[in-house]
Amino acid sequence: MKKILAIGLSVLMTAFLFAGCTKQAGSTTSEAQNTSGEKFVFKHGFDLDYPPYSYRNDDGEMGGFDVELCQAVCEYNGWDYQPVPFNWDAKDAELSAGNCDCIWSGFTRNGREDDYTWSISYSDNTQMIMVPDDSDIKTLADLEGKVVGVQTATSAYDLLNDEEGQLELKNTFKDLKVYDTYTIAFNDLQVGGIDAIAIDVTSGNFLMNSNKGYHFLDDVLGSEQYAIGFRKGEEELCEQVNQALLALVENGTYDQIGQKYPDIYEYLCLKPEGQE
Amino acid sequence: MTFPTMLMTMASGMLRTILLFILTLLGSIPFGMLVVACKKSKFKPLAWLTEIYIAIMRGTPLMLQLLVWYFGPAYLFGWKVGKFSIFGLEYRFIALLIGFVLNYAAYFAEIYRSGIDSMPVGQYEAAEILGYSKPQTFFGIILPQVVKRVLPAVTNEVITLVKDTSLASILTYEEVFSLAKQISASQTSFLPFVVAGVFYFIANYVVAWIMKALEKSMQYYK
Repeated sequence: MKKILAIGLSVLMTAFLFAGCTKQAGSTTSEAQNTSGEKFVFKHGFDLDYPPYSYRNDDGEMGGFDVELCQAVCEYNGWDYQPVPFNWDAKDAELSAGNCDCIWSGFTRNGREDDYTWSISYSDNTQMIMVPDDSDIKTLADLEGKVVGVQTATSAYDLLNDEEGQLELKNTFKDLKVYDTYTIAFNDLQVGGIDAIAIDVTSGNFLMNSNKGYHFLDDVLGSEQYAIGFRKGEEELCEQVNQALLALVENGTYDQIGQKYPDIYEYLCLKPEGQE
Repeated sequence: MTFPTMLMTMASGMLRTILLFILTLLGSIPFGMLVVACKKSKFKPLAWLTEIYIAIMRGTPLMLQLLVWYFGPAYLFGWKVGKFSIFGLEYRFIALLIGFVLNYAAYFAEIYRSGIDSMPVGQYEAAEILGYSKPQTFFGIILPQVVKRVLPAVTNEVITLVKDTSLASILTYEEVFSLAKQISASQTSFLPFVVAGVFYFIANYVVAWIMKALEKSMQYYK
């Protein structure tokens, strides 16, 4: 009897969970379109653990390229900016629950084309393998029988688990260790727990700038584009952000913000017209 | 990813969760007794040291302790801990066990102490008059009653432990919750978290049931 009750309860709870999700998502969609009356508050969803795109900067404040660019977009559109730092694992729940209007945090578009309504891409990125300078790993083939680290739910992780990506390469590893953050993965590389890290070139540059003695292999794992993910179907909001982005590229704001982040500057892919 | 594949992947994670859970219990329940013996020791420096140990274990987050056990030796002494292994076990897993056992032993020790301190002085006096030696009094008279008294509190702690194992993901131990996070991210689905919740619930239901049976078996006066 008790067991039946327990099962029944858990099913009921599950049902409520999903019911809650869909309802809220619907109501916020209409809010976003009703921008006429009060000043629209744009809720920027991002991960505070993803330097240099979004992180807690040296002053202890929320910052990063994506945060500054989003603030500029809001200013341009006359919106109020509201930061919504979330746990990266919960990004989809946060977005569909309406806690944020977009995922904008070094968010890879490739492979997720159908899951979100996407803005234009504003940054390129590649995935590389980072090793200590004294490592005997010189090429991707040398990774055979080695232990490689990666952060969970990142594009490097997806790439290594994708049949059309680098799954075959992953199968040559002795083990793939999955970390909550790249910081811990890098600590583990320092103490010899793993032999290499699969990482985005921008995040990797950020780590290597503050720690000497590491380099990327010449071989590239994969490449991708960063864009802003909106709830599926929110074309109008997406279009407003796109227009603002293009305007910021034209008036040079995009370039100005980019220059503050030398680690990623060369990967920013939007250029003013006539300047390719 | 199909639902059966997801279920199988997460079930393998649940097995690792249970393994960590059982090893932690096997270590921390006896070690907690040693800790409480040290804390009640007449040799004061030992009692003080134990007090400091319990204060640190209870006063800092377990996740932080796990990081310290794994990375501490490397940063303090420059050891390449990642390459260590004992009996074929990676240091990573050993650090995890040390962290969990020492942390939980501190909590168990305090629970045992509450049980021991709750015994009326009259029982010690009566035992002395009847000619029992001190060890006889403790192991024959006091301890059986203490075990019975602390069981509900121990059950609480054990159930918490089932859920705390998810902290092991910080050292890349792939237990059920970190797998749920990974699958949820790659499938953009909330379902893995629900599955993880059901797994935890079932595990804790079994734990609670066993502890209840244990409590019942000790109600020898009813």
